Amino acid sequence: MLEIIEALLSSTLEYFPALLFAALGATLCERSGVVNVGVEGMMRAGAFCAAVAAITFPTPVGVLMGMLAGAGMAAIHGYLCIRWRSDQVVSGMAINLVALAGGTYLLESLYGPNGTPPIHQLTRWHLPGLSEVPLLRAFSGHSALTWIALALPFAFHGLLYRTPLGLRLRAVGEKPHAVATLGLSVTGLRWLAVLGSGMLAGLGGATLSTAVLDRFEQHTPAGLGFMALAAMVFGRWTPLGAFLAALFFAAGNALRIGLASSAPGLLEVVPQGFLLALPYVLTLALLAFQGQRTHAPAALGTPYEQESR
Amino acid sequence: MGERLRAVLPSVFSVLLALAVCWVFIALTRDAETATGAYLQMLRGGLGDWPLYFEGGRLAVLTRPLGEAAIKAALLLLTGLSVTVAFKVGLFNIGAQGQMLVGALAAAVAGAQLQLPAVLHVPVAVLAACVAGALWALIAAGLKLARGVHEVISTIMLNWVAVSLVDNWLSVGPLRAGAGTNLSVTGTAEIAASAQLPRLLGDISRLHLGFPLALAVALAIWVWLSRLRSGFETRAVGLGAEAARAAGIPVVRRTAQAMGLAGALAGMAGAVLVLGTEYRYPGGLGAPYGFDGIAISLIGGNHPLGVALSALFFGALRAGGTRMQLLGVHKSYPELIQGLALLFVAGRLVWLSLLRPRRVAPVAPTRQPEASPEVPRA
Repeated sequence: MLEIIEALLSSTLEYFPALLFAALGATLCERSGVVNVGVEGMMRAGAFCAAVAAITFPTPVGVLMGMLAGAGMAAIHGYLCIRWRSDQVVSGMAINLVALAGGTYLLESLYGPNGTPPIHQLTRWHLPGLSEVPLLRAFSGHSALTWIALALPFAFHGLLYRTPLGLRLRAVGEKPHAVATLGLSVTGLRWLAVLGSGMLAGLGGATLSTAVLDRFEQHTPAGLGFMALAAMVFGRWTPLGAFLAALFFAAGNALRIGLASSAPGLLEVVPQGFLLALPYVLTLALLAFQGQRTHAPAALGTPYEQESR
Repeated sequence: MGERLRAVLPSVFSVLLALAVCWVFIALTRDAETATGAYLQMLRGGLGDWPLYFEGGRLAVLTRPLGEAAIKAALLLLTGLSVTVAFKVGLFNIGAQGQMLVGALAAAVAGAQLQLPAVLHVPVAVLAACVAGALWALIAAGLKLARGVHEVISTIMLNWVAVSLVDNWLSVGPLRAGAGTNLSVTGTAEIAASAQLPRLLGDISRLHLGFPLALAVALAIWVWLSRLRSGFETRAVGLGAEAARAAGIPVVRRTAQAMGLAGALAGMAGAVLVLGTEYRYPGGLGAPYGFDGIAISLIGGNHPLGVALSALFFGALRAGGTRMQLLGVHKSYPELIQGLALLFVAGRLVWLSLLRPRRVAPVAPTRQPEASPEVPRA
């Protein structure tokens, strides 16, 4: 029994960082009032560039490149949404489509259809103290990104709720005109949030191709970016909420894989499709139960115009 | 500049710019000759190989590519209309993919399990797909109206639920062709011949009834939105739900109707795919048609006729894309063009500011007439 829980926990921690980074990125962006449905595309760009860079450079450099690629995609989003007040959902969807088709094209023309050549995975930390203890052993054998993912939500919580910058970022998503009245730059704050969001989404993608896998595959990130959006909504646009939601989704995923591999008999009773659908159905049920109307930032999706009120 | 032109030009320029950017992209990664050659192949693959026709006179070199383009266009048009109708009532339907999937399965089941004469079988199977798609979409509408769950999130979730249930259970389990036997086939049983959409040109092209059907639906949606009272009320809700409510428009009913219609249209796309070309529910839909629908709808300016034009254009591009492979250019290239076009459409305000009529030069001779107008800063 203990081994099963340990395996599930370990599998959860494997899947969790990518989801969390993307969900935190989406939270950051949307708290500043800019909708970001382009997370999936930013993750794909990050995953691709990280893998490509890691072929020639050390893998951590690849991860940095992935973050930059995500920020690059986010810059397009920012330029259209902040500078030109475009429809934020449209811009995000466009980024998804470009990343999907562009990634496919580049992968195909550079490396063939199956994926990039394998790279060195990020070093997995086997912590001497931890790997002896039963249960806690699950925390050993993951890359540094897992530990960052476990700490980052708390850092973000501190940033958003305990610092002046956090207050401003939140205010810009609620009442941008009030922020402007204080002589602060609405566009500057939003740019900061959008670029930061892109870096986080890129990091999430890079996690997939450098820590979870050891290459970029045709279908990466296979909808994980949309999952991250759900985690953000589910977590009520807060870092700690996103943390719990990402943990919940990752655990659901681990449970599914775990059940499929450890108890094949179960699959004859409960079809695998049900298990696959379960996290999504649960999310829908929980969202319906929560009632979402009040939690989204008030200025979410409305471009800022100085002259309007 | 006319109001209508202002609405259309950004899309046209966006598509042209996307074509140009992609040409440069091939030219940079390969060479200019390959890029031009690839585009020519794309034209021939999408609009017919006219040079070959004039040489040999075989009609098939025209009808085959045009038929493929029309088939692709029909699917894009129906999913595009699905997104458009939802847009008109103010909802963003990311779930066209899931609705289409459910519709395709319903069409496949109705096509394979029922025994009907062809006159009835095709309409019944299409109707089954529409109902299935509509019901799937109404879940999202219900959650939105009753509990305020944002439709972007709920339709994304419903997409995944549909994929999980259909692709990972029904089509490989209970509904698999030869379920219960040792046959290992993916996908459902083949539909009856009576349920197949009739081919319009016989054997020289795969063009089938789905294409005129899609065009007729686009026309009907246009008439509904622009001429009928309920269509007007739907648009009014989309422009401002509060104002519409104040004007006595039944907001909840119009929203649910529009979302149901959106689902039905996506479901119909599924029916056209299954009854027109696949003849069974394959292992999976094979392409993100629903997401393409978003792009098609937005590039078409969310206007049914614009969506039709955009679907025809990208249908031809898609059909031609396979021929680009002759020159080693990946067949996903048309999707890249489509994605970039949408990105440029997203920047429509950039276009509008570029297209804004230059102010007539003032009388004072010192002012430069070419002075570019001030661009409004955000």
